[in-house]
This record gives sequence, structure tokens and C-alpha cells, in this order.
Amino acid sequence: MAVLSFLRRERTVAAPGYSRWLIPPAALCVHLCIGQAYAFSVFNLPMTKLIGITQSGPGDWKLTELGWIFSLAIFFLGASAAILGRWVEEGGPRRAMFTAGLCWCGGFFLSAIGVYLHQLWIVYLGYGVLGGIGLGIGYISPVSTLIRWFPDRPGMATGMAIMGFGGGAFIASPLSVWLMSRFSTPAHVGVAETFVALGLIYVCFMMVGAAIVRVPPPGWAPEGYVAPLQPSRLITTENVFVYDALKTPQFWLIWWILCLNVTAGIGVLGQASAMSQEMFRGQITAVAASGLVGLFSLFNMVGRFIWSSTSDYIGRKNTYFVFFALGTVLYALVPYAGALGSVALFVLCYAVIFSMYGGGFATVPAYLRDMFGTRYVGAIHGLLLTAWSMAGIFGPVLVNYIREYNVTHGVAPAQAYNVTMYVMAGLLVVGFVCNLFVRPVHERFHMRAVEAEDEVAAAPVFGSE
Amino acid sequence: METIRQSGGVGNGIKLALAWGFVGIPLVWGVVQTLVNAVKAFQ
Repeated sequence: MAVLSFLRRERTVAAPGYSRWLIPPAALCVHLCIGQAYAFSVFNLPMTKLIGITQSGPGDWKLTELGWIFSLAIFFLGASAAILGRWVEEGGPRRAMFTAGLCWCGGFFLSAIGVYLHQLWIVYLGYGVLGGIGLGIGYISPVSTLIRWFPDRPGMATGMAIMGFGGGAFIASPLSVWLMSRFSTPAHVGVAETFVALGLIYVCFMMVGAAIVRVPPPGWAPEGYVAPLQPSRLITTENVFVYDALKTPQFWLIWWILCLNVTAGIGVLGQASAMSQEMFRGQITAVAASGLVGLFSLFNMVGRFIWSSTSDYIGRKNTYFVFFALGTVLYALVPYAGALGSVALFVLCYAVIFSMYGGGFATVPAYLRDMFGTRYVGAIHGLLLTAWSMAGIFGPVLVNYIREYNVTHGVAPAQAYNVTMYVMAGLLVVGFVCNLFVRPVHERFHMRAVEAEDEVAAAPVFGSE
Repeated sequence: METIRQSGGVGNGIKLALAWGFVGIPLVWGVVQTLVNAVKAFQ
């Protein structure tokens, strides 16, 4: 009972003197852990040798079967964020972070049992379903809290957290490899033990995040911050109820903006290694390609912070205009780089493309806040993440299909990606047009003042930052 | 909206250093590992 009371939103209202700069690390505690999802592929090969140990034996799991674990996790990320968004928003960040921690780590423990018993369905249920739900709740849990603490820089604040999701793989990948090397023996692959160890590490981190997170008291504003007297036309001071947002064209335009930006990025992200080797045969080896992918992931992470922070100054709509216009040019330049044999131009194009891919994820919560207000922004963000789930399926399929079609029709592998790049550039043009149509939400969708009252309204107003 | 003053001083400074160190150190370690691997790959 004491735990349940500790999780209540009322218990998370900040006391006087609480620094808002403690909120980004609280959010990072969660996002750095759930960002492990991007590094799950390090387990794929070891999990195909659980019986054969040195090589796949009879009865060992196949890569194609293992691929479903990540796909399920991303599907349940989108589904849980969409379904549980309102529950997350109304219950407060601590309850959501705590629940996300239990689901995420429970997913690892259940997967460890699945690996130990060699029952793949248990791993699907563990990492795919339970872990995926933890991903969804964890991803949206700090968003609205950050936006409320940083009304002057909402892009930067959410960008910091979402950068953590990109950065989680940088920690998880070497850590998982190291743990597996410690737990493996000549007769045993240490995957199950590594899952247990990761689950324990992540539960500690996520509970620290849940413990230090706070919501600002009603009426709180940062020192020196004065809300603009004449607010920008594209930044509302009203609130839209989560399910009313679905009735607005703005929600669906932003849904397509995110979907198209992610489709273009995720499609080539998965193929970056093979593409660089095929386009620059003899210049980029397999080992160098893996280094390149690491470098691109770094740009994906850094771009999340830089672009979302930039959006606080140039505006969200303009930031997406930059993504779509610059992205179109860069995608169209990639075949040219291949024809020239210029690895430097190729790397430069991709580095910027991946920074904008990450930037698209990180800037979208602030875009939603500008359109729909702060009251239900986390829940609306949860609904929007279905665009990510869709892009996660559509992007790689599109890239693989176009490449396959070209190769089977006699196009040399070095040129097989050219059409793909032009298709991606075309998708970004569509995204540009969607962004062009984004206008302020009509006032008939705004909540009445009484409806918008926060449930912590009764809490005392403190003098803090 | 009421504008409110920041207080806290040394106590907040220590909390901030601990919180940022808690997330920052693993993240920097991970980024360094990735960069080292990337450099090795190019060599």
C-alpha cells in the first residue's frame, strides 16, 4: 500500500527549491534503459547457437524466427503507447515509470526463462509483448512532465530524453557482449544469464528515475519566464482532449509527417552496412561498414538533441521543412556520390540524414504541444507512435523490395539502391506538403477551462525554479 | 502564471551532479566504446 501511495501523482508534486534540471536525468534513467531495444540484434547470433554452441545445431532457433522478437516489441511499443497514453498522463510520471520498469525488466526475466527452457514463445511473450509494453509506457512517461518543466524550451527538454533512447544502444551493445563473454562457457552460451543481469541493472536505473521525477506545482513557471503576450499563431495556449485530437486534421498531418520521415530513415538505416559495401566495392570493407553504422547511430543520437533544441528557436514547422527539403536533396545526392566513388560525400549525406531521422522523433512531442497544448500531450504522443510502428514495417520492406526488384531485373548491385534513394526523396516531398498544410487547431476542439483543470490543482503553489 | 524563484544552493548542486553523473557516465562510456570500435573498423 505504501508503494501505491508513493506512486500517486499528488506525491510527485515538487517541493520548494526542487531544480527542474533533475527531470532530464530522471527521464534519461528510463530512456537509456529502453533504448536497449536498438541493440537487441547482438543477441540474434548467440541465440541461434543455444544448442549447437559453436554453430547452429538441429533444433536451434533460426534468424528469421528471432527477427519476430524485435518486431513484436516495436508493435507493442506503438500499441501500448496508444492505448495506455491517457492512463500514463492522468496517473503521473512516477506510476508510469515504475510500471514501465516492471514490464521492461519482467520481459527480460521471462525471456531468460524462455532461453533456459528453449521455448521461443516465452521469449516472444517476454521481450516482445511484456517488454514492448514497457517500451511504450516508458517512452511516453516523461514527455509531458518535461514539457511542463521547460515551457521556455520544450524541444530541448524532450530532445534530451529521446536522445537517451538513441543512446541506450551504445551502452547496451558493449555491455551485453561483455556480459555474454563472462557468462559463456565451452558448453553454454550465456544469453539467459545476460538477460537476468540486464533486467536487474535496468530495474535499478528505472526505479531511480521514478524516485527522482517530480511534476511542477500548478502555476509554476521558470524564473524570468514570461509567457508571450502575443503567442505565435502556431503555438496554442489551449488544450485539446486526447481523443478529440484524433478528430483534427493536424493530428493526422503530423502522423504522416512522422511516418514519412521515419520510413525514409529506418529503411536505409537497416541497409546502411550492405548499401555502403555494395556501392563502394573495394573501398568499404564489411568491418569498415560496421564502423560506419556505429558512426551513423551516433549522428542519429546527437541529432535528436541538436534538432529539437534548434526547433525552440526556428519553430517546429520550419524544423520539419528543413528535414524534408534538405533530406530530399541529400537522398538525391547519394546515387551521385556512388557514381563519383566519393565515400566522403556518401558519409556526409548519410550523417546528416540520420541526424534528421533522430531529430524527427525528438521534435515531434514539442510539435504536438504547440498544436494541442500540454494537458494531454503525452497521451497524444502515444497515439502518434503508431506512425512509428507503421514505418518500422513499411520502411525496410520498401527498401528491400526495390533493391530485390532492381537486382532481378539486371541492375548492377552498385546501382541497385539508386531508385530507392529517389523513392525516399519522393516520400520526403510528400512529407513537405503535409507539413505545409499544418494550421492551428480549430477552437471547437479546445477543452473548456473547467475540463482542462489539472487534478493536482489543489496542491499548494511553491516558490521554486 | 506565477513566476517563482529558484532556490536550493549546495544541496541541489550535489543532487544534480549525482543525477547527471548517474546517467552521463554510462552514456559517455557507451559513446566512447562505439567511437573506438568505429576507428578500429576503419583501420
